[in-house]
Amino acid sequence: MEKEHVRDALQRIVGKENVLWKDVDLAVYSYDAGLVKGKAGLVVFVDNSDQVAQIVSFLCKEGISYVARGSGTNLTGGTVPLNEGVVIEFSRMNRILEIDIENERVVVEPGIYNLTVQNALAEKGYYYAPDPASQKASSMGGNLGENAGGPHCLKYGVTSNHVLGAEVVLPSGEKTWIGGKALDAPGPDLMGLLVGSEGTLGIVTKIVCRIMRSPERVLTMLAIYSSVEAAGQTVSDIIAEGIIPATLEIMDNVVIRAVEASVHAGYPLDAEAVLLIELDGLTDGMDEQMKRITEICEKNGVVSHRIAKDANERNILWAGRRGAFGAVARIRPAYLVCDGTVPRTQLPKALTEVKKISEKYRVPIGNVFHAGDGNLHPLILFDDRDADELERVHKAGREILKACADLGGTISGEHGIGTEKLNEMFLVFKGDDIRMMSAIKQAVDRKGLCNPGKVIPAQEARP
Amino acid sequence: MEKQTTNNDGAPLRILESLGVAVKHVERPAKESEAQQILAKAFKEKLTVLPVGGATAISAGALPERVDIVLDMTGLDGMAHFDISNLNMTVLAGTAIDSINEFLSGQGKGFFLPLDPPLSKRATIGGVYASNGSGPCRLRYGTLRDQALGVRGIDAQGNEVGFGGTTVKNVSGYDLTKFLIGSAGSLCLITAVVMRVYPLPEAASVCDVTFPAIGELGKFLLGLRSSVLLPSGVTVEPVNGAFRVLSAFEGHPLAVERENRDFLALAGTFGGKGEAKMGREIMREAMRGAIDPTGEAMAIKVTVPLSEGPAALARLKELAGPAKTVLLAGNGVILVYGADERIIDGAKGLASRGYVAPVRLHRGLLSTWGPRVDPTLEQFVLRPIKEKLDPSGVFPPIL
Repeated sequence: MEKEHVRDALQRIVGKENVLWKDVDLAVYSYDAGLVKGKAGLVVFVDNSDQVAQIVSFLCKEGISYVARGSGTNLTGGTVPLNEGVVIEFSRMNRILEIDIENERVVVEPGIYNLTVQNALAEKGYYYAPDPASQKASSMGGNLGENAGGPHCLKYGVTSNHVLGAEVVLPSGEKTWIGGKALDAPGPDLMGLLVGSEGTLGIVTKIVCRIMRSPERVLTMLAIYSSVEAAGQTVSDIIAEGIIPATLEIMDNVVIRAVEASVHAGYPLDAEAVLLIELDGLTDGMDEQMKRITEICEKNGVVSHRIAKDANERNILWAGRRGAFGAVARIRPAYLVCDGTVPRTQLPKALTEVKKISEKYRVPIGNVFHAGDGNLHPLILFDDRDADELERVHKAGREILKACADLGGTISGEHGIGTEKLNEMFLVFKGDDIRMMSAIKQAVDRKGLCNPGKVIPAQEARP
Repeated sequence: MEKQTTNNDGAPLRILESLGVAVKHVERPAKESEAQQILAKAFKEKLTVLPVGGATAISAGALPERVDIVLDMTGLDGMAHFDISNLNMTVLAGTAIDSINEFLSGQGKGFFLPLDPPLSKRATIGGVYASNGSGPCRLRYGTLRDQALGVRGIDAQGNEVGFGGTTVKNVSGYDLTKFLIGSAGSLCLITAVVMRVYPLPEAASVCDVTFPAIGELGKFLLGLRSSVLLPSGVTVEPVNGAFRVLSAFEGHPLAVERENRDFLALAGTFGGKGEAKMGREIMREAMRGAIDPTGEAMAIKVTVPLSEGPAALARLKELAGPAKTVLLAGNGVILVYGADERIIDGAKGLASRGYVAPVRLHRGLLSTWGPRVDPTLEQFVLRPIKEKLDPSGVFPPIL
């Protein structure tokens, strides 16, 4: 791209101070929280949707690719600019536009952090259900792009179950609305298509979300096990009993040790696994449900268990879980996390495979996962300065995803495809499936400029 | 699950003819592979195809003026796979909703599919998927977009396609499992759907309360939404100048009993009088009765923001006269079983704050409607997608 010409045009739209062009600044926006590295051509900070529409229209005319970016916490390269494209940065579009309690909706700008929204709603006795572990840093726009999940998905679903509408700038540069406060817009579920499309079908500039009344009561239990298998079996048995808790999360000893050193959540260092169980809802009958859960834990050989006495203790237990990814930096400076998902009953087999792969490639792997919905997060730990180790890590990651697909699962439960898992898409889709997705992309983004090279692999890349 | 031979008494064809659709030929595939062969042939010979299930929501889509092949999907019925341990099932598109729940209730400790669209004895899972159908219990359990985990189908070129899978969390590629919901057969023929199933709650009840005035009803509904109570579904129907509210509760027996008490107490503070009855079958029959039409009727569906539900209901009832009109409170969905021009015009007036699914009594009425979909979306998204996925026009128009 003719940088100066483009830079001048973008500066006319957003102001000189809101465009970055120096290499040292561009470098900061050329990677995300994963391992993929790209190169940004320019970075432009936007403040409103009109600016976004003008920028996209201009870039469309010039034939320059672009990618929307919130906090850059994406783990698979979804927000990494390729081909020296323009990064459209949303961190300054971070306002709550409306909290509409009467209609149980909140309208936000995409750059706002998930946790900021939660905190604002909590003051009014409401909450927004999707709560990814990254919520302190991840943006609502990013959550939408990746269809973010979180520990409470088991009961409440993921982002696409709670986003009801969005103002969108299409790849053509047109600005429009999909959905809104009322339900069931006629025709195909465009909102369902947009959520999880990783910014490849348009850029969201406002989001309408469903909010819910905070539950009357929450009970959080930490159960300690001498094996991951026993913790996993407990999860299966709870579900088989007809109880669907709000959350069922497991961490293994590798992660427990890192978390304790970092967060001091009170997890025992000699535990092979901890299982975090949470019930929420009406208080009536909850003690009896927790009693049944406790009996199931004991049947599966739980070493000990405790229920959080108050909100403070609950927060500490959760700080441990939410701090897991960051904590493992104590062991190795980098990690590759594979978020393959398997049917819940296949979790033991999946974990056995992960262990074998860890031994095969001589890479340590810590496990933290959303056990209730079968979403694994094996953290493959390594030093990215070691080229040989990095190579082994990538091979291990690919084998883990293949194992998940072979067990009847899929290659991504919540982190998305980005560029990292393009080849692995062929593990779960046939050629005609990919063709249909590709046709939709081509229909909506005729010039192929809207975050190109992500999500949909080229057919000729099929192994 | 035993294969059911759904006896639809030729209703789909009769309904299509009454809507002015000229049908050349009907095929009734019994297997997915047969459906695939029909589609492949249609693509090769440039024929048009219209899939039909129980025909309970056939006007949810854009009907063509003529169609070469009507695909009666009710031959494709039954359970392809039920995974009791992982709480999901793969069910063929032509299976009626009630048949599915009959099967599930007898498995293990008992399960159910929380989908309760009108006419669920006849409505098929494929048809409900294609028309984005739902009923009162979407308040607690959501709709197809919240319960469907995967979908199998045949594209316009006659190729088998599949999206999603059996896991609750799945962000591999574009979410076409969701996108195809509500597409009314215009982009892909749905042959099977993978659905979440739920353990049957231990207890269930229905509260039946009548309010004399709409003002108090509105305040009550707001109070209910602001409370910690968790109704599975709430319906409101104007009856003889008053408003009858039915509310279903499910869950632990202690919780259900408490919810009954608190609901009736809350209703009482706003002039509502009624009673609670325990029992799942009682609850189901009450909710079914609230939304099923009493005879053959064309319906329209209006959706508005929650706070506007009672006022919209009152306005539509005024226009509808004796025609059954019901609000699914908590969702802002209103069903009107009677669709003459007055009612349609009135519904259009509400459309600026929500949506109205169009009804076709006869072809002429189409021209009086405002756009169903935002014109920008139509021009830059929906039509291009239709042109790419179905360039030969095998399936009905998208709009």
